[in-house]
Amino acid sequence: MVSLWKTTSLWIMNPTDAHQWQQLAPLALVFLVIDGLQKFIRENLFWFLGAGAGFAFLDWLGPRELLLALAAILLSFLAWAIIFHRRFRFRLEEDAIRVRRGLFQKRELKVRFARVQNIQLGRPFYFRPFGLVRFSLETPGASEKEVELPGIPAELAEIMRDRVTGWQGGEPEEDQSNEETVGSHGIELYRAGTGRLFLHGLSSNQIWVLAGLVGWAIGNFYDHLESYFREVAIMQWLSEFGGPAWMVISAMIMTGLIILMLLSGVFSIVRFHDFRMFDRGDRLVGIGGLLDQREQTVKRDKVTGLTLQQSALGRLLGCWYLIVRQTQSGDQELSDSQTRFLVPGLRRDDHRLTAQITSEWVRPASLNPISLHFRRIFWLRWLVFFVLVLVALAILLGREHWSLQMTAAGLVLWMIGIQLRWRHWGWQADGDRIWVRQGFLGQQLDVFDLALVQQVRVTRSPYQRRHDLANLQLMLPQGAVTIPFVPMDDAAELANRALYAAETAVTHRV
Amino acid sequence: MTGITEPSEFSNGPVPSDRLPDYRRVGLNPVARPFYAYSLAVTGAFWLIVLVAVAWMPRLPFIPFDPAPWSVFAMSGATIWFCVVAWIDARRRGWVVREHDLIYRYGVIWQKTVIVPFARIQHVETASGPIERLFGLLRVKCYTAGGMMADLSVEGLDVRSARRVRQYLLEQIREEADETDRSERESAENGQPVENDKPLDHESD
Repeated sequence: MVSLWKTTSLWIMNPTDAHQWQQLAPLALVFLVIDGLQKFIRENLFWFLGAGAGFAFLDWLGPRELLLALAAILLSFLAWAIIFHRRFRFRLEEDAIRVRRGLFQKRELKVRFARVQNIQLGRPFYFRPFGLVRFSLETPGASEKEVELPGIPAELAEIMRDRVTGWQGGEPEEDQSNEETVGSHGIELYRAGTGRLFLHGLSSNQIWVLAGLVGWAIGNFYDHLESYFREVAIMQWLSEFGGPAWMVISAMIMTGLIILMLLSGVFSIVRFHDFRMFDRGDRLVGIGGLLDQREQTVKRDKVTGLTLQQSALGRLLGCWYLIVRQTQSGDQELSDSQTRFLVPGLRRDDHRLTAQITSEWVRPASLNPISLHFRRIFWLRWLVFFVLVLVALAILLGREHWSLQMTAAGLVLWMIGIQLRWRHWGWQADGDRIWVRQGFLGQQLDVFDLALVQQVRVTRSPYQRRHDLANLQLMLPQGAVTIPFVPMDDAAELANRALYAAETAVTHRV
Repeated sequence: MTGITEPSEFSNGPVPSDRLPDYRRVGLNPVARPFYAYSLAVTGAFWLIVLVAVAWMPRLPFIPFDPAPWSVFAMSGATIWFCVVAWIDARRRGWVVREHDLIYRYGVIWQKTVIVPFARIQHVETASGPIERLFGLLRVKCYTAGGMMADLSVEGLDVRSARRVRQYLLEQIREEADETDRSERESAENGQPVENDKPLDHESD
């Protein structure tokens, strides 16, 4: 490691190399075309195929014209990628990286190393034989990757990574760790085998995204599917199995779900293949991926919290995952950002990772529940609502109508849902940090330093004022965390403690 | 921060909760009186437009919609209700600048208290719409790192107070930033932790 730093320093300080404006490797064109096409398809697929309009258009167009149109799109992307590639330049400076890019409008961007919170090195399979990587940087609050350099030599990317993460306002410190005992990436904290990754895929919410996509596709292509089914006489084929139609349809749905789950598991293995997490002193490193191996480095002092999460299926399978939280923009809060640092396939025993990532963050044995009034008031409100709906339905449709039974079943499920929501909510202040749990069928456990609170909100409804309760909302760099229905004195004490911690904290850390 | 604390002198024990300044004990400044009229005018105008639209709809030839007569009465009731709520809200609103944070309270049914530490404010600006300018009012907007939800807009300040608050906040942010830079530099140079258990010099403001 020492030698690497020495080489790095020499290399960086050589004005004829990294301090000069540099270009991307020619192979970066492949990445630019693939990435551009992916974005194009993602943004236009729904528009094109929406309500079957796309299919009608394709039928009208004919295969030859279709091929020509596809070739034209491909060529235009290639032309865009060539011009973008020719105009793209980057340069490493003493404390920053500078990028020049733009097709019609030239833009120059300078990102100071001190602002960087997340670095990614991607190794797509088509870059590997040529020793190239995709290097990207993220700063707090940016809605997308601030700097992306697709197709630069791996050695240069590693030098840049170490330069950025080691930057403390002076010369980079020499890493004193013993390379033989800790490996080139640092001390291994966690490794997820293929089995765990498969379970992560099974339990992750990706399965519902896949199910949604399949449902949407079937909805759009229904006419074509129907004619196809008629051609192959599928119903006749199914009826030969015997048994009632509902059983056959249920079996088909179940088969579809199992296929989706298997697919989700396989996707997870491909995405996180051989996932390992390393402790490298002032930074954390996560590496994994089969087709596109990604190495993600986050600065420890830019970590704003941790989230332990478990989906409903994950509870059955005993599978958790951990998200290392950092400052996010509003856009990222809404989307499942690819840039977030996710540790998949955790078991209950692996919760010790929280203490290894940030010292002394040990999961408490128990959490304080929120007030019983939460359950009482929501049960009462929704009971009144459902009863009114039932009365209205009985008057309008008659007492025997099937919708009454459905509504009554809905009422029972709703009440169970409120009970689950109430039972999951809990909090525990542990010195200057706080643990907050919430959930419904799954659960989420957040932990963060009170010093990172950006804003405190205390809200009280008339019901809460009558029972001396309050909702406490703590705004954090990674988003808001709410603790509802806590006794007013506890809410005020937590608010005062958070403000004290934030106002006496040494640094902003975001 | 005048110097670096020796490790033997440094302590970082928990601060008893009764020694923490309680935000509830602070008296708030009421918003400017023109805000009462502004709030009433804006709410009243909005609901009056809705009321007039509902009342006039049956007379329009191209909209085949005939609302029941009681809906106009209901809308009138809603207009009066929302105007009363707006008036009470304006009277109850309050703000105060403490030594280290800004407190803003609003809401009648759902009462909200928002507290933003100066150390977390990234940017401050004042803004006003044409109607606010008519009433001589300015809003102070504070931006923090928590995204759009964590931005605070303090409404109901007269122009003079808003500008003073903005100027004060900007000075505080600059001081905090300078102190943070100095602390970081000193701790980085000396490799030592910095003082973090500054005794509280105020129980409440």
